[in-house]
Amino acid sequence: MTAVLDLALNVLIAVLLLGGAFWILTAALSMFHVRDAVSRINVFSPATGLGLPMIVVGAFLQHTRVTGFEPGVLVKTLLTVVALIIVSSVASNVLSRAAYLSGSEIDPRTAPQDLSRAPGEGEQEPHRGDR
Amino acid sequence: MTVVLWLTLAMLAAAVLVGLVRIATAPDPASRAVVGDLAYFSAIGVIVLLGLVNDSAAAVDAALLAAFLGILATVALARILTRGRR
Repeated sequence: MTAVLDLALNVLIAVLLLGGAFWILTAALSMFHVRDAVSRINVFSPATGLGLPMIVVGAFLQHTRVTGFEPGVLVKTLLTVVALIIVSSVASNVLSRAAYLSGSEIDPRTAPQDLSRAPGEGEQEPHRGDR
Repeated sequence: MTVVLWLTLAMLAAAVLVGLVRIATAPDPASRAVVGDLAYFSAIGVIVLLGLVNDSAAAVDAALLAAFLGILATVALARILTRGRR
């Protein structure tokens, strides 16, 4: 019974670690496929929102499997996951705003583009063909 | 399990390398900032995995600090992109 559980835990750890690395590698390769900086920030978010938390949780499980359960490590792992999700959301928001304001090229179909519009100009219709 | 660890490390290293190539070929500074961020987060993964390979508990603390402080680098890059304006 213990052997089966250990095997299942091993498989789970392998899936978490390799899956997390897969998301990060996919994000890196996607940087070649999208055209503008805002889209790059968009395809970057799976790496920090999903890939890295998976790696951290897998590392916690592996650490627990090798040295036994420690509550402090669990707390640190949970804090890391929460911090990664919050940090990546806030950071991509700040970065995309800066990317837009710095005048880098944006896909013209991007909508809404409220930063380039005067207040009171009204709502911008999303591009029809992209829904 | 060692194979899995090294395979994950290899994938993360490949992500960093691909990111560096993309930084060299990127068309605009904003894209370089984004890909630089990706390299930073891949490096956090590398730190965590090296901690596992060496059975070191310090990697957990390192990952925690890196996750919390990662926003500073990103905000600094964003501020550089806009030449100091908000």
